[in-house]
Amino acid sequence: MRGFRAKGGSVVARLDGAEAGIVGLLLDQLEQLLTADAGDVADDPVLARLLPEGHRGDPALAADYRDLTESALRSGKSDDLATMRATLPPDGGEVRLDLDQAGSWLRTTNDLRLALGTRLDISEDTEPPEDFTDERDHQLGVYYWLTAVQGSLVDALVDARAGRR
Amino acid sequence: MAGPLAPERTPDTTVDEESDLDRPWVTIVWNDPVNLMNYVTFVLQELFGYDEPTATTLMLQVHHEGKAIVSSGPRERMEHDTSRLHAYGLWASFQRDS
Repeated sequence: MRGFRAKGGSVVARLDGAEAGIVGLLLDQLEQLLTADAGDVADDPVLARLLPEGHRGDPALAADYRDLTESALRSGKSDDLATMRATLPPDGGEVRLDLDQAGSWLRTTNDLRLALGTRLDISEDTEPPEDFTDERDHQLGVYYWLTAVQGSLVDALVDARAGRR
Repeated sequence: MAGPLAPERTPDTTVDEESDLDRPWVTIVWNDPVNLMNYVTFVLQELFGYDEPTATTLMLQVHHEGKAIVSSGPRERMEHDTSRLHAYGLWASFQRDS
């Protein structure tokens, strides 16, 4: 992977084939989660993190908020996911995004990190794995790889907006 | 209260009768271990139009104190702000100012 950099009005990165394949699988999983029936939110900690309570402590206000916003929130996330999938080279290669597409990548890579981070019970003290001895190490490796992708994307967007390249 | 950083406190013209005009609603961003510091700063600038130093100060408040008020005003607007933050995956909620 070569992280995102600003280039003119675009941001550009390069993924290898294995990386693009993993991202594609993670997008499939996220899509399944987001299109699951409404009402599942309380039963699934990942969904509860992606579609959180709007009000803490008042169930009626929280329910009002969910009625008002959840459907738009789900469809926005699904639209972002579709944009990321459409601009992901399936076998790896250059990723070149305009600023709108970059916004979709930003939100979706964050959702992927939230989903993985919740499953892996990430805390402020969690460290990247030193060895890859079990499944958790591999998933942590993916989490920290996504962290690097997203961090570079934020910096590239800041540069692109400031007209730096 | 976020002191001098509390943005755009506007009179609430839509409150119901038990509301206290001196206590508007607020939108709070809570600390979480996943969201990156540069991402939170970027999102606060993007959604609320804060300049970079203001957004950074709020982000650091979230990071060090566990939460920060990022906007205040009528309930409907705080619900809207909360949903915009949720679209970016920030851990946000609205409540009456305390």
